[in-house]
Amino acid sequence: MDYAVELNGVRRRYGRGRRAVHALRGIDLRLPSGSFTAVMGPSGSGKSTFLQCAAGLDRPDGGTVTLGGTKISGMSENRLTEFRRTRLGFVFQSFNLLPSLTAEQNVLLPSRLAGGRGDRRAAREMLGRVGIGELAGRRPGELSGGQQQRVAIARALVGAPDVVFADEPTGALDPATAAEILRMLRASVDELGATVVMVTHDPAAAAWSDAVLFLSDGEIGGSVRGGSAEAIAARLVPA
Amino acid sequence: MNGLARASIRFRPVAFAGTFVALALSAAIVMACGVLLESGVRATVPAGRYERIPLVAAADQALTYRVSDEDTERIPLPGRARLDAALVPRIAAMKGVASAVGDIAVPVRDGGTTAEGRGWGMAALDGTAASLTGRPPGPGEVVLTGHAEGTEVRLVFGDTTRTFRVAGNAPGVWFADAEAAVLSGVPASVDAIAVTLSPGADVAAIAKDIEKTKGVRAYTGSERGELVEPRLAGAKEVLTGLGGSFGGVATLVAIFTAAGTIALAVAQRAREFALLRAIGATPRQVRRAVLAEGLLVAPAAALAGALPGLLLARWWFGALRERGAIPEGVRLAVSPWPLLAAAGLCLLTALLAGPLAARRAARIEPGRALAEASVERTRPGIVRTALGIGAVAGGAAMAGLAARESGEDAANLALGVVLLFMLATALLGPVIARLCAALFGLPLRGAGAPAELAAANARTNARRLASAMTPIILAMAFSSTLVFLQTSMSHATSGQVRDGITADRIVRGDLPADAVGRVRELAGVRQAVGVLSTSVLVRAYGTPQTASAQAIEGPVGAVQDLGVRAGRLEDLAPGTVAVDASLADGAKAGLGDRLRMWLPDGTETRPRIVALYGRGLGIAQITLPRADVAGHGVPGFDSMILVKGDSPDLASFGAVASRAGYAEQYDVDLAVNAWANNTMAAVLGGFAAITALNTLVMTALDRRGEFGSMRLIGSTRRQVLHMLGWESLLVTGGAVLLGSAIAAATLIPMIKGLTGEAPYVPPLLYGTFAAATVLFGWIATVLPARAALKIN
Repeated sequence: MDYAVELNGVRRRYGRGRRAVHALRGIDLRLPSGSFTAVMGPSGSGKSTFLQCAAGLDRPDGGTVTLGGTKISGMSENRLTEFRRTRLGFVFQSFNLLPSLTAEQNVLLPSRLAGGRGDRRAAREMLGRVGIGELAGRRPGELSGGQQQRVAIARALVGAPDVVFADEPTGALDPATAAEILRMLRASVDELGATVVMVTHDPAAAAWSDAVLFLSDGEIGGSVRGGSAEAIAARLVPA
Repeated sequence: MNGLARASIRFRPVAFAGTFVALALSAAIVMACGVLLESGVRATVPAGRYERIPLVAAADQALTYRVSDEDTERIPLPGRARLDAALVPRIAAMKGVASAVGDIAVPVRDGGTTAEGRGWGMAALDGTAASLTGRPPGPGEVVLTGHAEGTEVRLVFGDTTRTFRVAGNAPGVWFADAEAAVLSGVPASVDAIAVTLSPGADVAAIAKDIEKTKGVRAYTGSERGELVEPRLAGAKEVLTGLGGSFGGVATLVAIFTAAGTIALAVAQRAREFALLRAIGATPRQVRRAVLAEGLLVAPAAALAGALPGLLLARWWFGALRERGAIPEGVRLAVSPWPLLAAAGLCLLTALLAGPLAARRAARIEPGRALAEASVERTRPGIVRTALGIGAVAGGAAMAGLAARESGEDAANLALGVVLLFMLATALLGPVIARLCAALFGLPLRGAGAPAELAAANARTNARRLASAMTPIILAMAFSSTLVFLQTSMSHATSGQVRDGITADRIVRGDLPADAVGRVRELAGVRQAVGVLSTSVLVRAYGTPQTASAQAIEGPVGAVQDLGVRAGRLEDLAPGTVAVDASLADGAKAGLGDRLRMWLPDGTETRPRIVALYGRGLGIAQITLPRADVAGHGVPGFDSMILVKGDSPDLASFGAVASRAGYAEQYDVDLAVNAWANNTMAAVLGGFAAITALNTLVMTALDRRGEFGSMRLIGSTRRQVLHMLGWESLLVTGGAVLLGSAIAAATLIPMIKGLTGEAPYVPPLLYGTFAAATVLFGWIATVLPARAALKIN
């Protein structure tokens, strides 16, 4: 089988000696292409570190990360940056967009950074797909929080990346708007064949995924496939 | 990426407003100083009465001093150097010369006004002859205005009074040529030689021929103005000093503060750069974007600063002219050069500060885009800290050295001290801020939640703190040095005047040499001493230095207490001199030694030192017999007569003042001098104030989120403002303390060297300084924060 994300013995620790914090204590996992995975866990469980290491934003102290068949561990900073902008997509909780660029320019930014002119038609099409085609010329300041997240999703998807990493993408949104954003991520997996890895603390958000991984104390504590929000929430509460 | 930088500036100008303001201010300062410097370098005055004369030969008005085998220095002469009259016929005989006329100035008093009389030979050349009514003057005759033709007029000269018959009327005072030469008191010499040329003669070639004679210079074109307006050299010195020396320091301060602001502006956008990094910008691309932003903002800022800078220069120039430091006729030189310099400096600052800040921005880990909080984590660079510590060590060593030196030597070293300490402040800003936060944070603990928060904020945001503190420290240090240098000098000088003048009455005016003899004969006058105030050059501290001098006629000890430390003033006789002890130190000469000295016209003499005294600053650094300077480029009249005793008839000689009145008038004159220093201090202080304000506003706006969350967790607006109040106190209090310490390290050796006393710091003035700084910091912190809180 073809895996979009492979982690082998990934460890990450902050600080040294007795005061060291082990954020990740050896993570092994494989996520297939075209899957939607949610990563959950209480605060301090290593969710964010996991996402940063998996997405090449942070470097693990040990283990290897392979994305779309390419081993990113040991890459130079420049190669890694190039890899991020061509093969990965990102959606953060907030401050996703450069305030000085329009929605369309924000969507085009990764390809502009790569030195290209950027495919404006593809950008427009993707903005249309996330339902804000008519707002392409607006700047982030003129968009609502939900609209800003749609722009971020459009930016993440426009380059047809191997994996889209989302960090609490609905954390700052009301439930109705959050549901729309999640439906969009779901659709990108179902219709465009994208692979999505999403960190969240919200069981309702996690319920949109194919599989939920539970992190606790830097280790994978278990997983649930296709659970409802209630089932996921129940799993979160320690027995 | 250029597109990104352009878009950033175009659509989010607020983020660049701080950088823009800081750069524009720097540009304004550089522009103002540049215009003044250029005006000084290019200053000319109209040729006046030499307007119609193509070439004027005169003695070189500067002393050429050989410092070493290769190096010579030119020092402007304090008085007028003259030419041998025998040169007139020799120039007249030169090929291509149509005529050569000796120009002689004869200081003369007609009633209450003093004028320069001249020989009629010049009248034909300068155009006066055309407006003559009556006859040209013959022997015993004069041409002037205000007296009818044929009447007799009594004219007073430096050493004689004579009656002339009025031959005619024309502007000025004119005598027969031969008579003018005699009346000038130096018969065998002329002030200048006016040369007219045969048709078709080459001015430059003749000028070259004339300059073959040693010590003679040919003045052509705009150079001729130098001879007409002797104050021009002084004005040039004032302007170039202001534009160059002050401008240099101000530019340095401007660069450092602007660089700090740029760093702060970039740091405030850390999240933006982290996002860019996350979605695929390489560190190089981020660096280039920041650099491009700087390069886009800098030229615009330079342009924006140009006009205020020009206005500042104009105002300053006008004020100097009003105070007589610049003669009429000198114009403000405005060329594109200062603007180019300002633009160049802005670009340079952006180019230097940009990459430094950009390097930091580019190093931001992309993962930080995910993190909500952006905690300042950067450590000050090792190189920067090492350089800063080096500057502190250098400054301290120099201050120690300066404390052991005296006079000019100490003062020159002190300038190095203040510069090194200022450099150290700029380099060590964040370290200093952290130390201050730790030090002042201690008493804040337990002073309530807002105070504790303020202390904690200061500790964790040292860089932010530093960019507000640095300009205040720099301004406080430099402005205090300038202002208290002035107060200390004035205090010492004024004290010496009060202690040094023991005469009962002081008569001032343009007094002929024989006046003192007539005063002595008045009933009620026990003693009188004539004083001619001038300047000489004394070889001290390695080169000829201008020293104030009084040429006296009479027993000076009876009317002045110069504070004699060695020798006797009674021994003062032609060929001897009494010298201020600190100047003698600088000249490495003691009692009985010969002092190498140049009279105002550049004549070298080596009088023997018969007395050393301590009150040279207030009275005169050199005291010598009047006979030794007569005819050597000194003013034509004595400037005052010091009288022991009193007589109602004194008023017929000039303005009479009591000892106290004289001292008060002296203080008024000192206050006029103080203006120059105070203005420099004010300009730099104003600059620092606006820069600090800029930083504080930038910071307050950036912290809106923080204030908002403080409000959310239940702090009242009052508590937030209290916290900020404490923070501002920390910033300004620390800055005032440090600035004062730098000023003290500079001033103590400097003042000790110059006056032999400790610095005089009026407590009220200093208190006002400190209080104003603290108040200003408080307002600049709290007002924008109040506005920010309202928005929330």
